[in-house]
Amino acid sequence: MGGDEDLAKSLESHRKYLLRYALFQLRDASLAEDAVQETFIAALAHRDSFEGRSTLRTWLSSILMHKIVDLVRSRQRGLPADALTLGNEHDAAEAAFDGKGRWIDPPADWGLPDAALESNQFWRVYQKCCQRMPERHALVFSMREVMDMSTEEICKKLEISRSNLHVILYRARLSLRSCMTKKWFSAGHG
Amino acid sequence: MGKLMYSCEQASKLSSRAMEEPLGRLDRSMLRLHLMMCRGCTNFSRQIEFLHRASRKVPGAIEKDIG
Repeated sequence: MGGDEDLAKSLESHRKYLLRYALFQLRDASLAEDAVQETFIAALAHRDSFEGRSTLRTWLSSILMHKIVDLVRSRQRGLPADALTLGNEHDAAEAAFDGKGRWIDPPADWGLPDAALESNQFWRVYQKCCQRMPERHALVFSMREVMDMSTEEICKKLEISRSNLHVILYRARLSLRSCMTKKWFSAGHG
Repeated sequence: MGKLMYSCEQASKLSSRAMEEPLGRLDRSMLRLHLMMCRGCTNFSRQIEFLHRASRKVPGAIEKDIG
């Protein structure tokens, strides 16, 4: 058919992008390489299911995301089932409010923040702030907000309850907005 | 005995949950009431909406080579 070599070539052209994406999520270069390699293998094995409904890159990204989820899960296997919400991960929420549920440091206006989306420096700060979250919180946040996965899909994939998911996303958002405030919006950029 | 006002912690939790699913009628009106009176929670709510918009653009930003 001659198509396989073409496909292999097109896959290669997306390698750099996929590697950056995997590194963004996994924070570990050799794990990121593994994830991309497995993505290519899966893509070749299931090439029939790519029907050109999405772009090749979108299709590869979604395979990659599943590989990343599997890698994070297997890396954390052995932790108690509720490790997702327990432990020092309480910090973000508890540090934000006093005993009566009032903001300790009430969120200030970010003005018109959308202009920042054009700045490379903004994205570096965003990435750093994501990496400050506990790894699984960052993963859940990405599945939801970057990959736009449904809450049902995330709960199923990670075997967590809905209320657990809400708690994780809430803490991730608290943590990210607090970090972005410190590192970007009140650092003279916003 | 319900409280007249939700705390900022309760209100911000609801703002976050509302991004995943529609709130019940009581929660929705309590949240709206709280936001009318609370600048901090209003800012929080706008900020997490901005972070939602921003996060959708991560793939594009990765393409431009961040980090």
